[in-house]
Amino acid sequence: MKADPADPSMGNVLAFRSKDFLKWADNVLEGILRRSPIGTGIDLITKDFFNWATRNSIYPLHFGIMCCALEMAVASAPRFDAQRFGVIYRSTPRQCDVLLVNGPVSKKMKPALRRLYDQMPGPKWVIAMGECAISGGPFYNSYSVVPGVDQFIPVDIYIPGCPARPEALIDGFIKLQKIIKDNKKGLLTGK
Amino acid sequence: MWINMGPQHPMTHGLWNLRIKVDGETITDAEPEVGYLHRGIEKLCEGKTYTQIIPMTDRLCYGSSLTWSHLYCLTVEDLMGVEVPERAEYIRVAAIEMQRIASHLMWLAAYAADLGAMIGFIYTMRDREIFIDLLQALTGSRITYNYPRIGGVAHDVPPDFERDSLRACDYMEKKLVEYEDLFDGSKVFMMRNVGVGKFRKEDAMNLGVTGPPLRASGVNYDLRKDMPYSVYPELDFEACTHPDGDCYARYRVRMDEMFESCKIIRQAIQKMPKGKWRIVAPRNAPSGTGLGRVEDPRGEGMMYVVGDGTDKPYRLKIRSPIFVTVSAAKKMLVGYKVADVVAIMGGLDMCIGEADR
Amino acid sequence: MNLKAIKGETDMGERGKSILSEGLERAPSRIDEVPEERVIRALLDNFPSTVTDFKTLKKGVIRAKMERRELYKCCKFLRDHLGFEHLSMISAVEYDNRFEIVYHISCYGSCLLLELITSTPKDDPSVDSVSSVWGGANWQERESFDLMGIKFNNHPRLERILLPKDYLYHPLRKDFKGGD
Repeated sequence: MKADPADPSMGNVLAFRSKDFLKWADNVLEGILRRSPIGTGIDLITKDFFNWATRNSIYPLHFGIMCCALEMAVASAPRFDAQRFGVIYRSTPRQCDVLLVNGPVSKKMKPALRRLYDQMPGPKWVIAMGECAISGGPFYNSYSVVPGVDQFIPVDIYIPGCPARPEALIDGFIKLQKIIKDNKKGLLTGK
Repeated sequence: MWINMGPQHPMTHGLWNLRIKVDGETITDAEPEVGYLHRGIEKLCEGKTYTQIIPMTDRLCYGSSLTWSHLYCLTVEDLMGVEVPERAEYIRVAAIEMQRIASHLMWLAAYAADLGAMIGFIYTMRDREIFIDLLQALTGSRITYNYPRIGGVAHDVPPDFERDSLRACDYMEKKLVEYEDLFDGSKVFMMRNVGVGKFRKEDAMNLGVTGPPLRASGVNYDLRKDMPYSVYPELDFEACTHPDGDCYARYRVRMDEMFESCKIIRQAIQKMPKGKWRIVAPRNAPSGTGLGRVEDPRGEGMMYVVGDGTDKPYRLKIRSPIFVTVSAAKKMLVGYKVADVVAIMGGLDMCIGEADR
Repeated sequence: MNLKAIKGETDMGERGKSILSEGLERAPSRIDEVPEERVIRALLDNFPSTVTDFKTLKKGVIRAKMERRELYKCCKFLRDHLGFEHLSMISAVEYDNRFEIVYHISCYGSCLLLELITSTPKDDPSVDSVSSVWGGANWQERESFDLMGIKFNNHPRLERILLPKDYLYHPLRKDFKGGD
C-alpha cells in the first residue's frame, strides 16, 4: 500500500475525513483480499459454494417483446414451473443476472435494449430466445428489424423455436447453469 | 414533470412507452408511445403469396392469433369470391371461441398478478393450459397456429375432439364461478376497480374504441351479432354489456364473454355437419378489393386487401383495435392516481404486436 | 349470476332504423325503408357534384367515391345528420397515377359500413384531416403519414408514430428500396 503524496491526511488515521477514510479502507482491504495469499485462500474455500448459489438463483429480467414472451410467462406457470430451478423474475435490470431477449428487436428499440444490458451489473449473461432474437426470424428481411440480437449484445445461449416451447426455455436455463458451473471463478480474485 | 413508464416495465405488458405528467400523485396528462415493435408486416406481405402470408398474420397478435389468420382468410375469400364448406366454418368458429377463452384467461392472469392477486395468475394459467392442449391437438402448435387456409382449414379435427371440448366447457363453467367468488369477494380487488377509469359512452364511440371497453361503457355493439360473418347467425348467444364504464365493468364484460363462448363452443360442436373441410382456392386473385371484419377479443379487427391479378397482394392494410384504443388513454387516465394506471391500462388488454404491426 | 341483470340500457335507437335529423327531407318512396338506400339518397341530395359512383357491395356495406375538396364537410354531415359515429379504418393505397385514401365509417344504430374513397394526385398527396370529427382518426392519420407520406391538413400533431422520429423515408411507397 503506497501513500498518496497529494493527500495530506494519508498516514494519519485519526485526522481522516469520511470520504478519504473510505478510500483508504478500500485500498487496505483490496490489498489483503485480492492481491495477497489470504484472498486466494478464501476463494479456494468458498468458490464452489458461491458458484452453486449463483447458478441456482438465476434472476431474469421482466422483459417481454413478442410471442416468446407468452411462453416465458407460461414457463413460470403451474404446469412448467421454472421457479423450482431458482428462476425468479425481477422488475429492474439492476437486480438481474440474465437478460432474456424474446422477440424481434426493431431499430427503434435497439438503443433502449443496449441501455438495459449496460445497466445490469456483472456477472451477467444473455439468452436469445426464439428465431427472431437469433437471426430476425420471419422478419429477417424487414426494413425495421435488426437481424439478430447478437449484432450489438454478446449472447451466451441460443434457444431455437418459433415460438420456443416452455420446456426448451427451461432446458436453456439448465444449460446456462452448466456454463456457470464450468466457468467457476472466485468472487474475490476473479480467477 | 413527464415520467416514462416503459418500454421495459413489469406492468405494461408489451413493448410500449406510457409518458405521464404528474402533479404529486395525480395524473394531469398522458401520452402513449408505440412503435417499438414495428416489423413492417404490411410491406413484407407485398412480397409473399397469399398462402405464405398466413403464418405472418398469426404473429400480429400473439395473444389471439387464430382470430387474425381467420380474418385474413375471410378477407381474401371476399376478394376471390370463394365459398367455404360448412364443416370448415363450424370448425373455425369452435377454434376461435376456444382461442377467445384462452386470450381472456391470459388477460385475467396478467391483470390479477398486477393488482396483487397472484393467486389469479396461478389458477388461470393452469386452466388456460386445458384450452391450449385442445388447440394443440387440433392445429399442432401452442400459440401461433397456421391453421386456417383460404377456402377452409388445414386438416380435420382429431379423434375424440368433440368429447374433450365438451368436457373442457363443463369444467370451465364451474371454474368461472369460482373465479367470480375469488375476485368479487376480494375487497382490495373491488376497491381498485370500482369507480376507477370511468369512460363515457360518447367518448368511447367518437375515439374509435371497440370491443369490451366499448361494451363496458353501455354500447350494445358486437360484430358477431350486428354484422355477422361465418356461421354466427345460426348460433344462439348474447352480447355482453355493462352500463358503468369503469374497470370493474370491463372485467365483468370479459367474464361474461367467457360464459358465452362456452355456450357457442357447445353449439358449434353439436351442429358440426360432416363433409369437406377445405376447398382449394385459386392461386391468382382477381383485380379488386376485399374487406374482412371480425370481433377480436380486443375489439374490431379489419383487413383491406387490394388484388392485382397476380398471386401476391398489391396492398394489405390491417386495422388493429389496440392501436386506436391506446390513443384514447389520455381521456381515461387524467384525474386518477399513478397507482390506478395499472388497473386502467391493464383493463384494455394490450397486445402490442397488433398495434405496431 | 344473472346475465340479464347486469346488461345495461342503451339509448342507441331501435335496431334497423338509421338516425336521421329532423331537418332532412324524406322522399316518399318504399325504397327508403332500406337503410343503405336512405344513406345514398341523403348523400346524393346534399353533395350532388362531389360524391359519385355508389355500389352496395354486400348487405350493409356501401361504397362511394368522392372528391377531396368537400371531404371534411361530408364527414361532418355523416356524423351529425346520418349517425355514423365510428370511424373504423383509414387506408392509403398507392397506384400508378394517384394515391387513394379509403375511409371505412360505421353506423352503430343501423349496422351499416360506408367505404368512402378519395383520390389525390401523385405529386400532391394531401387531404383534410377528419380528426376533429372523429377522435379515432388521429393516430390512423399519423400512421398513414408515417408509412405512406400522405399529408393531412389541420391535423393537431402530424408526426411519425411507428418509425423513429428521424427516419427519412416512407416505407410503404412502391419506390422504397430498403432505405437506411
